[in-house]
Amino acid sequence: MHALLHTLWLAGIAALTGGVAAVERKGAFQLMLSRPIVLAPVMGLLLGDAQGGLLLGVPLELLFLGGVNLGGNLPDNETLLTAALTAMVIPAGLAAGTGVDGPLAALGLALLFPLALFGRRLERASELRNSQLVEEAMRRVREGDPSATALSLRGLLLPFGATAGICAAAVLIAPLLGWARLQCPAPVVVALGGAWHAVAAVAGACAIRAIRDPRGPLFAGIAVVAMLAFAALTMRSAS
Amino acid sequence: MFWRSLFLQASWNPRGMQNLGFAYAMGPALDELYPDRAVRAKAAERHLEFFNCQPYMAAAILGGAARVEERVAAGEAEAADVSQFKSTLGPPFAALGDGFFWLALRPAAALVAAETAPYVGLWSVLVFLGLYNVVHVSARVWMFLSGYKRAEGIVESLSHMHYASGTPLLKACGAALAGAMAARAVLSAAFGPHPETAPAFGALIVAAFFFLPKLGVTRSVYIGLLCGLALGARFL
Repeated sequence: MHALLHTLWLAGIAALTGGVAAVERKGAFQLMLSRPIVLAPVMGLLLGDAQGGLLLGVPLELLFLGGVNLGGNLPDNETLLTAALTAMVIPAGLAAGTGVDGPLAALGLALLFPLALFGRRLERASELRNSQLVEEAMRRVREGDPSATALSLRGLLLPFGATAGICAAAVLIAPLLGWARLQCPAPVVVALGGAWHAVAAVAGACAIRAIRDPRGPLFAGIAVVAMLAFAALTMRSAS
Repeated sequence: MFWRSLFLQASWNPRGMQNLGFAYAMGPALDELYPDRAVRAKAAERHLEFFNCQPYMAAAILGGAARVEERVAAGEAEAADVSQFKSTLGPPFAALGDGFFWLALRPAAALVAAETAPYVGLWSVLVFLGLYNVVHVSARVWMFLSGYKRAEGIVESLSHMHYASGTPLLKACGAALAGAMAARAVLSAAFGPHPETAPAFGALIVAAFFFLPKLGVTRSVYIGLLCGLALGARFL
């Protein structure tokens, strides 16, 4: 009974945090609290493992660094993915006793990455709902009710509710992910560790691409060469 | 009004974009300027026309629109002047704000935080929020106040803010930091339990960089996961 209540408590926290982040992403403030590098550690802290959240947040931030909401263009929804992934992987790590490690993170990411695309559809649906709100507000304003513009705030409800529900569901099924992680034999765990490392590599490439400047690859290349040369020199002097 | 401006995109929609959010943000100014409900409704209606701008830069236009509304209420300007003010400044301010905040400041701040994460841990979250929001919040407040004070003169005020010249500098820093992050992915493999996989991870970064525009992030991540599985299992 106590375990069930604790899980429901965590689901509530994840739902609230994810919902607020979904609203903050576009509809309100835009203080970047919904970016993966912030959201994952903060949600991790609330769910019991802030360092685990940071482990998830950094590569996710780099993967989605280039996603920009310009005009009507909708990028992948990094906030929904981050919120759901953190809500699932942190409790799973705690349940499995492994904490958040590369293999668990890779498993969770492979399972939940389509949420980034689903989030885009969700946002499109939210925009269509907003069109109806605008129609209603226009009608009421034309009828002489200037306060109808406050309908604008109702546009925050759908992103909040949908993300909150997905995050709560992610916490509830987290024990299954923890169980799956524990069932993995050692070679699979090593392979999944490699998979998480590969995600970091792809994230590095995404980060370079995110800098939309013709000189970007040049500066990035110089930095890569400098880092590798520095590491080689350090190794040589150490040996 | 400034508080309401933080919800500018709450009801973003494909047809009017930020129109309803803008009209909502103008509410307190209209309440004060037009005590008559019917006149106020007419004023609110003209703010329901199409409007789109970068949300931070829109603060300047909101402030300026409030000033122009004051002139309209005093009979010194036409109602059409408000629309003209908004439609003239919206697109150039959007371009300026998108380039500086979305494409330069945010990636640079995030990369600094990602770079420092292994050394400062959770403090990297505050590094990111601090670097970004010190610039963002102060710019937003300043633009709102300047827009209100100067209305059309905000263009001249903004020209002294060095947004355009700061953007390439931030992008150059961001690119170098992104390169450093990519190099770190190779180095962590080189210093890990299987150093022989480091060149393969380096090749993965190069391949991902070249194929990303064609494959997109989702497919690149899944291909990366499969390559990593194979590397981790030493099938390659």
